[in-house]
Amino acid sequence: MTVTILVAEDEPLMRERLLGMLALAWPDAQVIAAVDNGLDAWDACLEHAPRVVFLDIRMPGLSGLEVAERIGRQAHVVFVTAYDQYAVDAFDAGAVDYLLKPIQPGRLDKALARLREKLDSQPMDVSAVVRQVKAASPAPAREKLKWLKASVGKQIRLIDVEEVLFFQADTKYTRVVLEGSEALVRIPLKDLLGGLDADRFWQIHRGTVVKVTAIRAAERIDAERMQVLLRGSSEVLPVSRSFTHLFRE
Amino acid sequence: MWGRYTEWCRQCDEEQLAVLRDPAVAAGVPPGWRRVIALKLAALSTIERQEMVRFTTTYQGARLWRAIAKLCLVFSVAGALVKLALLPKMPLLLAVAAGNFVGFAAAMALITVWFNHEKYTRPNLKMIAVVTGLGLMGGLYGGAVAAMAKGDSWQHFMDILPNVLIGVGLGVLLLVALPGVVVTMVRNRHFALLAAQLKHEAEQERLARELSETQLRLLRAQIEPHFLFNTLGAVQQLAEQGAPRAAELTAHLIDFLRASMSDMRCEQVSLATEFGLVESYLAVMQIRMGERLRFRIDLPTSLAPTRIPSMLVLTLAENAIKHGIEPSLRGGEITVTVQEDAGQIRIAVHDSGVGMSDTPGNGTGLENVRSRLRLAYGESASLALSEAEPGLLAELLIPRKDAQ
Repeated sequence: MTVTILVAEDEPLMRERLLGMLALAWPDAQVIAAVDNGLDAWDACLEHAPRVVFLDIRMPGLSGLEVAERIGRQAHVVFVTAYDQYAVDAFDAGAVDYLLKPIQPGRLDKALARLREKLDSQPMDVSAVVRQVKAASPAPAREKLKWLKASVGKQIRLIDVEEVLFFQADTKYTRVVLEGSEALVRIPLKDLLGGLDADRFWQIHRGTVVKVTAIRAAERIDAERMQVLLRGSSEVLPVSRSFTHLFRE
Repeated sequence: MWGRYTEWCRQCDEEQLAVLRDPAVAAGVPPGWRRVIALKLAALSTIERQEMVRFTTTYQGARLWRAIAKLCLVFSVAGALVKLALLPKMPLLLAVAAGNFVGFAAAMALITVWFNHEKYTRPNLKMIAVVTGLGLMGGLYGGAVAAMAKGDSWQHFMDILPNVLIGVGLGVLLLVALPGVVVTMVRNRHFALLAAQLKHEAEQERLARELSETQLRLLRAQIEPHFLFNTLGAVQQLAEQGAPRAAELTAHLIDFLRASMSDMRCEQVSLATEFGLVESYLAVMQIRMGERLRFRIDLPTSLAPTRIPSMLVLTLAENAIKHGIEPSLRGGEITVTVQEDAGQIRIAVHDSGVGMSDTPGNGTGLENVRSRLRLAYGESASLALSEAEPGLLAELLIPRKDAQ
């Protein structure tokens, strides 16, 4: 089976460089997407489920660390950074793969050799190391979204994010469901993700984010599929395979 | 009417106190004799101003009048005693009046010497000559008038002349010279001590300033490893592609490195130099970020020689990239402009990025800018951040200073 790769790097030249070097060093792997921000990176992960993900740490939208947290065990993660000493130390200690920019061919070959050995086993979960890095990072955490603006008829309605039961992607818009009402927001769900606290709002599907406290129960439909029942709404939300791990006991 | 008068007096007092505490205030006093006084007060030395403040605050309003009343009582009693003891023929009222006159004259002389003792630190022959001469002339004139009024002969006047001279000499000595010398000696010792202390403090302050300025500049001068490694990566990539932009990017990087290394050695640079540095930085970032970054820099030639603390505008431009453009999905535009406005220059760095919401805290960069402004200009320079739709506007306000 061909190994699928996702590359996420915000600077075009550095992205080209990594792509060019990968093509030389690992010709039989297939790059299924190359993106320039964290939100697209996470979206591409959900869409293509790549085996290997190269993540620049500093990216707009979601940082590489935030994307890795969401990926969990679903792909082999290799971080790319120019200079984040605090992160590099933690990666070394946690045996997490990383590359230093500018990437030099010899160093990439070594990383790929290590990676090939691991490909047959389940990807390691890097989120513990990532949390440690985020705690030690001198960069302040991204400000979380507090209010949403939604147009309802002629009015602009202000919605407190805390009151939202779940968000659902609706092409370029996002459907925002509250207890007893709902509204449409002119921002794609993908772009809202960065502003939502990942511990309190769980993504359970590529197009669905639900407030954890609004979940009444999750039930199994068959061996692979699950669905979520809510408090305050009779809607039933499907959980896609990538997210069933959230509900595993 | 009375209320207005006291109000006016109070205003004058407060104005003078304000000038004594901060000489810079004098420039703001409305023209007229009040301003003349204010400017005189402002020209005094620090120690003198401190003492004037102490004196004025102690003897203010009712306390001044009480002090004058006390002195008046003492002088009146002294005048009466002198009459009783030495001049029985003199009318009491005249003796009291004379006592007060002499007493207040001496008190005024003492106060003058007290606050102007610096002028008497060295033997001032001219001053002594003038005082003695005036005293002698007064004495002679008084003697002559008295003699003539009494119908005494010229001969008699000439007879008592030595006595008059001795009397005047003693008077001058007792009333002016002796207290003057004593006061001057005491005051000079005190003054020397104070001056030494002030000089020491000023020296300490200057050293602390220099030290913190150096530390701040060194802090600032560290070129970010992120910047360097990412730029070198971009150069390498372009070079491997054989792209002519490799040379262009290298040229911008060289300009940037050279300028920042020479800037970190100077406290102040011209706007032309600083804007050159900012331009090479933004040109490097533009090649690296591609379509995500556009920028515009505008420096009027008339402002090119204006001096500002080094690397301040660069810090603002770096912030605009780091907190404005880099976190933005679509990227944006940075504009750096400068204009003169009533003796001040206003440097504006605007980015159309994500705005205030994504820049939590102030960042050490901005703290550093604020500290250096404070060190260089005190309260007369400022840095203001404001939400601009879209993005963020950082404005530096600095007093204009051109190269000589």
